[in-house]
Formats: sequence, C-alpha cells, structure tokens
Amino acid sequence: MAKSINRHFQFLGSSKQVKPSGPLWLPAADVFQTPEGWLVKVELAGVSPEDVEIDIQGNVLYIAGTRKDRSCAVAGFSYHQMEITYSSFEKTLQFPAAIEGARVEHNFENGLLIIKLWKQK
Amino acid sequence: MAEEKEQNQAAESKAEPFEIPVLPLQNTTLFPETVVPLAVGRQRSMKATETALSTEEKLLGCITTKSDGVTGDEARYDDLYRIGTVVNIKRMMRNEGVMQLIVQGMDRFEVVEWIQDEPFLKARVQIMPKLTRVDDEEIEALKRNIQNLIQQALALLPNVPPEVRMAVMTQNDPVQLAYFLASVLDLGVETEQKMLESGTVDGLLTLTHASLARELEIMQIRSKIATEAQSEMDKSQRDYVLRQQMKAIQKELGEDDTGEKAEAAQLRERLETADLPEDVRKEAERELKRMEALPQSAPDYHVIRTYLEYVLDLPWRKSSPEKLDLNEARKILDEDHYGLEDIKERILESLAVIKLRPDSKSPILLFVGPPGVGKTSLGRSIARALGREFERMSLGGMRDEAELRGHRRTYIGAMPGRIIQALRRVGVNNPVMMLDEIDKLGNDFRGDPASALLEILDPQQNNTFRDNYLDLPFDLSNVFFIATANQLGPISAPLRDRMEIIQLAGYSDLEKLNIARQYLIPRQIKENGLTEEQLEITDDAVNLLTARYTREAGVRQLERTVGNLARKVALKVAESAPPAEGGVDAASADGVVEAKFTITAKEIKDYLGGPRFYPESARDELPAGVATGMAWTEMGGEVLFIEATSLPGGSGLTLTGQLGEVMKESAQAARSYLWSHASEFDIDPEIIKHNGIHVHVPAGAIPKDGPSAGVTMASALASLYTGRKVRSDTAMTGEITLSGLVFPVGGIKEKVLAAHRAGIRRIVLPAQNETDAEEIPEDVRKELEIIPATRVSDVLNAVLEKERSVPEGTSFVLPGAETPRDQGDRLIAKEKEV
Repeated sequence: MAKSINRHFQFLGSSKQVKPSGPLWLPAADVFQTPEGWLVKVELAGVSPEDVEIDIQGNVLYIAGTRKDRSCAVAGFSYHQMEITYSSFEKTLQFPAAIEGARVEHNFENGLLIIKLWKQK
Repeated sequence: MAEEKEQNQAAESKAEPFEIPVLPLQNTTLFPETVVPLAVGRQRSMKATETALSTEEKLLGCITTKSDGVTGDEARYDDLYRIGTVVNIKRMMRNEGVMQLIVQGMDRFEVVEWIQDEPFLKARVQIMPKLTRVDDEEIEALKRNIQNLIQQALALLPNVPPEVRMAVMTQNDPVQLAYFLASVLDLGVETEQKMLESGTVDGLLTLTHASLARELEIMQIRSKIATEAQSEMDKSQRDYVLRQQMKAIQKELGEDDTGEKAEAAQLRERLETADLPEDVRKEAERELKRMEALPQSAPDYHVIRTYLEYVLDLPWRKSSPEKLDLNEARKILDEDHYGLEDIKERILESLAVIKLRPDSKSPILLFVGPPGVGKTSLGRSIARALGREFERMSLGGMRDEAELRGHRRTYIGAMPGRIIQALRRVGVNNPVMMLDEIDKLGNDFRGDPASALLEILDPQQNNTFRDNYLDLPFDLSNVFFIATANQLGPISAPLRDRMEIIQLAGYSDLEKLNIARQYLIPRQIKENGLTEEQLEITDDAVNLLTARYTREAGVRQLERTVGNLARKVALKVAESAPPAEGGVDAASADGVVEAKFTITAKEIKDYLGGPRFYPESARDELPAGVATGMAWTEMGGEVLFIEATSLPGGSGLTLTGQLGEVMKESAQAARSYLWSHASEFDIDPEIIKHNGIHVHVPAGAIPKDGPSAGVTMASALASLYTGRKVRSDTAMTGEITLSGLVFPVGGIKEKVLAAHRAGIRRIVLPAQNETDAEEIPEDVRKELEIIPATRVSDVLNAVLEKERSVPEGTSFVLPGAETPRDQGDRLIAKEKEV
C-alpha cells in the first residue's frame, strides 16, 4: 500500500522513494494452545536473551528488544552486504482470555524464542 | 501504548549525549518514521557508513547540507545544519563501488559538538524528544485539513486505487503523516529542515499544511497545463496527419510542386523582377511577408495570394510603344468609317497633341449620337491608329460604385473594379479604354458609379486612382478614355464637363448609300459565303431599303436588312448548285454557280415583302390647324405633326398625346401669344375667347417633351384661327417666347435629315441655329430651302398659305350668333316631329 502511494506521489515529480516506516521490525510468531496453556514461538535469531523483555497485561503478551550485532567488533572485519536487521523490535500478541498470572518460562532454541504460558496449578 | 513505551525506551536509552558517525545529505532531508533508500559513494560518507555498520546498533546520523553546491566530501561543520535524524541501517548492498542503503529514520538529534571531519564526520549528539501526540482540537482540525488537501491532490491523479486513499486517510498519527508528506513532497531543503526542526506538533502541522496547499496549487496548474497541452497536441497532430494526407493526394494529382513554400517563393521571385513603383513594392513586400508567415490553410493566405498576383499582374509601368503617324491615322480612320469628316478632324487634332507632347494628359472624348452611327467602332479605329490596346466596357445598367472602384479586401470574394480588371487584361497602362453607354449608368443606395467616374475621368486626379481592392495609387493618366452615349441629358453636368463632347448625328440617305456600298454590302457578302460576282445590289435598291425598310439614324438596321437579302441569295445559290460528289467543299468550289443575282428596287419586294415604313410626310396636304414639326430622338430625328382643332363654344386648352410639362407650356405660350397679338395676325380675339382648343400630337402612345415644338404649335394654332393652311412641304422647329421671339434648339442636323427623308424641302429654323445648318451634309442641304426665323411672325409668314381655305365662321361660334348647340336642338326637334 505504501508502495503504491509512493508510486503515485512520484507522479508529482518527487523522485524520493520514501516509505512511511510504520511499526518497527516485527518478528514472526506462532502461537499454540496446549493442555497446559499457551506456547509461543518467536523468530528472534541472533538476539541475546538479555536484550529481550517480556511483559503481560490483561490478555496481551508484549515482547520487545533489540538485535545487536555483536560479531562486528572483530578487527579487520568489514561489511560487504547487510541484510539482517539490527534494530529494536516489538511484538504484541492478543489472547482470547486473560493470561495475567500465568507462569511464564522462556528459552532460546535454534534461534527461536520459546515462551510458555502455563496455567497456574 | 506499546509504541509509546518503546519510544520512551529509545529516548531513555540515549538520554545522554553520545558519539555518532554523520552522513551529510545533499538536497534532501531525512525524517523520523520513514524508510528511505540512500546511495553512498563518496569516500568520507562511505567511511562514516562503515563505521556505523561496525557498531552493534547500526546507527548513523544524517544531516542535510545547507547549500546545494557542497558535496558530501567537502562539507565542513559550517555547511551542515545542526539538527538531523538518527537512522538505523536496515540493509546494505555494494554495487559497483557504491553502497546502497535502506535506512529507517528513528529520532531527531542535535549536534552538541563536532568531534572530527576527517576521515569521516563524527559528532557528539543529543537525542531530541519525540513529538508526542497530543489530542488537541486544533491539531485534529489541522490534520483533517491536511487530509482534505491530500484528497484533492489524489483526485487530480487518475487511477489512484481507493486503498491508497484509505491509507492516507486512516493514518492516525499526525506527526507520522506530516513527516511522510514532508519526505515525499519536493519542498526544498529549507522548508524541509524547518519542518524537521519544528518542536511542536501544531507548528509541524501548520508548516505541512501550508506546504501541501502550495503544492496542491502547483499541481492544479500543472494538470491544467498538461490538459491543455494535451488537447493542443491532439489538434496539431490531427492537422499534421491531415496535411500529410493532403500532400499525398496532391502528389497523386501531380500538384505537389505547388506547395505553399513554392508559391511564396514564386511570388517573391516575381516581385523581385517586377518593375514596380517604390511604394507599391513596399506594400507588396509587406503582404508577401505576411503570407509567408501564414499556413496555407489560413483563409487569409489565399486572399493575400490573389492580391499579390493582382498587384504583380498590373502594368504599373508597362506601356505599348507609341507609334503615331498622323497620315497613317487618317488613313485608318478613313478606311474604317465613311464621312464623319468633322469628327475625324477632331480626333486627328487630339492625336496631334499627343504626338507633339507625349507626356501630355490623354484627352477624354465623349461621342454622343444615335445607335448604329459607329461610336464604338470609331473608338476601335482610334486605338488602331494609335497602335494601342483597345478595351471596351459597358457601363449600361451599372449601379454599384464598387463595380468601378472595387471592393475593399476585407470582404469575402472582393475584387478590384472594372477599370483595374481591364488594365490587367490589356497588360499595358496606356490602352484606349472605351466606356460604352455612359448615359445609362444607374445609381441606387449602393452608390453612384457616375461619381466614381468623376475621379477616373479627371486628368488632374486620375494619376493617383485608388482602387478599393488594391488600395494603392494607380496612374490612369496615360489611358485614352473614350466614352459613348446616346444622349447628353442623363449625364451629370460635372461629368460632362470633364469630357470633350463630339456629336455624331445620324447619316443622310446619301451617306447611308455610300456606307452600304463601301462597307455593308461587301461585309455581308463575305459573311454569307458569297462573292461580289454573285450578288449585286443596285443603288436604287439600297435607297429603297433605307427609306422603306429601315428607320434609323445609324446603319445597323440597314446592315441587317442587307444581310437578310444576302442570306436569301445564298439560299438560292446553294439550291441551284449541282449536287457534287464532295459535299460542301465541292459546292463552294468555283464555277459552281455562274448566275449573278442583281437586286434592283423592284425585286426588293420579292425578297423582303412589302415596305415596313412609310415616310412620315405621306400627307400631301394639311388641313387647317395642322403643322409639321421636327423632333429629336435617340434614334435620330423624326417628323411629327401637330393637330389643333376648335371646340366650338367650349373653353380652355386641351392637350393630348403624352406631352411633357415643357411641351404643354409651350402650347399655352403659343395660344397666349396669338391671343395677345390677335389683331396683328388678323384674328378675332372673340373667337379665341369663346372657343376651346384641343391640340393633339401623334403618335399618341409615345411620350414627347421639350420646347422645340413651340413654333409648330404656334403655326398650327394660327392656321386654325385664321383658316389659312400650313404649307405641307415645310417643317419647322424652334422655341418661342411670350414676346414672340424664336429661340435656338438642339439636334438640328438629325431633325433636318429626318425631314429630308420624309420628303420635306422647306425648313424653318431659328436664325441662331443657322450655324448648325452648315453641318448638314452638302447633298442634303442643296435640296433644301432653309428659312431662318427670329420672330414668330417670320415663321407664320413663311409657313401659312396666303389664302383662307376655310370659310370664316365655320368652326367657331361667336356670342350672339347661332350656336351649333342650338342647331343640334333644332335637329332633335325635327326628328321628333317626324
């Protein structure tokens, strides 16, 4: 959509290929319902666990953080191509019922952040 | 909420000033909340970018340079604004030594201090607070206004999908909307920077609104221009295609050489070689330039072309060479015309002047005379004698001034007048131009052509004759104008005054005989395919033709009659020819008909039937009260009779016979004169007092007017009153006055010739007309007794017989005497008795 706006505005004589940025980087996420509660997988390869923050409010799960490029500081390295986004991200997931008070566990597994929201026993 | 949180976090995380590599931007400003592709090629910029890439967060500061001229490598601290945008590099590709970046604008920053400018720019910067969204009515209004403007802008762009509109409309964050618009619109670095630096939401929106409004206006104008240009282009394209087709058609028709360029070039070539007066050349040059600038399809193009062709065709300086041999001229005039000695002499005099002074103004002659006397052919002869071109135009019935002087070029189908057209036809500026029938010019609301002639025929003015169409002065002074007319009367006095009048009277019978012998008969024989050997018409026969078969002053009818005879003879010749086997050729071969047809007076009747006219003077004797007068008509002279009779016991004067006012008055004057001088003429005034008079002039259907019948009226009345007859061999003309004087009148020659034709041998003329009598051909004059009269008494003495032929008292009543009425009553009484 932004692209087509852009295309039409180009008619005005503007040569700038500008897009509104919209929300920041939105990592993809899967949500499973399990007998124990909810299971959430988020595509967050290369993100350090300490750079991730998880918060729950009502029926919303809020995940935010930053992917930092920690491998670049090696002397003699220089980029030839960069396609991985190193920036802050955010993800909000809505659940059909309140999840406040659930037991939250998370760990990284093959570049995926796994969040478990188990019901309180 | 989450967004705010994230933003707060970002702001918090960079609350303290930090160092950042700086990328100088040219001609563009990077705004937060936008994703922009950038190409980085300069050494310093690439180093800054690489440095940014080697950090964990890939942050780069983008600052716009203040002026266009400074490139990324040259920009010093002072060339850069102090406020820019921190971007996050999202993608980087190297392509032929240039780094292609996609960056996302994050936050605005302000330079706290510059750290270095080599090998790349680096500064310590402070992140500026984000413009937070305030739910303010003013801001909402501004935002809606902006959206409204965007909607208008989109309306000007065809084929914008509705979802695009939706996207702009549904953008809730006014700050994002403003930043997006600012990056998209080409507002110029200064405005963009101002928007970037704007510290409040409403300030930013106001700026955006103003810029967008201006942009919209430009867009509207542009789209208008574009539409117009489009339609203009469509039209000219259509024209072009049609013209190409036309060219193709012309080529097919073999007319492709007459392209507009060729036409104009041809005209220019002609213009350059033409011998034109300076002012004419200037005008023609100007018109030609105008024409060259016009497309061939313009209506004016053809108007100008015709005009220029006219101007170039006219003989501005071309004359026929003067060959003037007076003896030759005399020979030509004699060859073409019999008699007319005086006229030929006048013509030769005019020619002599031209010979002695070639630069003198050409004379303007007016030939006046009855039809068929040779006015037009005289003109032709003059042209022949002078060796000039001859051009004749008939003015008869012309009623529009524009015919002579042309129409102004503004009118569609405008043409020059007849004078200029004639000059173009003859191609020289000194032709003999004959203006036929100048007395028959009409005039109406469209103008008076006679007035235009005033200029044309004035030798003082006509050297700068200005035709309305040409609108250039043409010198007519070399044109030899000859006008012809049947009558002088209808020609206005100023026009008459400009011309030398030459009167051509009718021909006498002898002249007609000679003309017939020398010109008419040979010509008709030739025209009817006969030879002189086959047809001879005797002089007797010609005389009979002139007297009994024609009645005219000229010879046109005579020629027709001769032609009639010749045709009938031709029929006989053809019929008697033996049928030859070659058809027509053999028939006309010589020796076909040996027979010669000699037509004598006796045989005329067999050819033409009985005579058509009887001489007017068939009356051998006139009763008392009838007198012979002479009248002048356009056809020459006429003899007419004036009849008077008494109305016993009646009163007053009755006049009949279509008489005009002047003629009626002259009848009254005649009666009054006789009455007042009754005793002098041995008339009893009582008779005049107590008896009415009726005067009739046959033929009753022909209108007559003029004073010249005065003496005839007086003679008829005197004859009636005195009972003495008027001599039947005498005709008379002259105006009378109440005091009994006889005044001169015009047309003497024609009148006398007519009277002679009618068999009259005594003529009474006003004494002052005696000089005119000398113009009468010798052969006629010697047969006539001409009696000059100065007083009415002279006339009466000459025309009245000495003896009374009617006994006194037979046609008049006197008071006291028995009236005819009483007699009538008695008769009725007698009848009753029976």
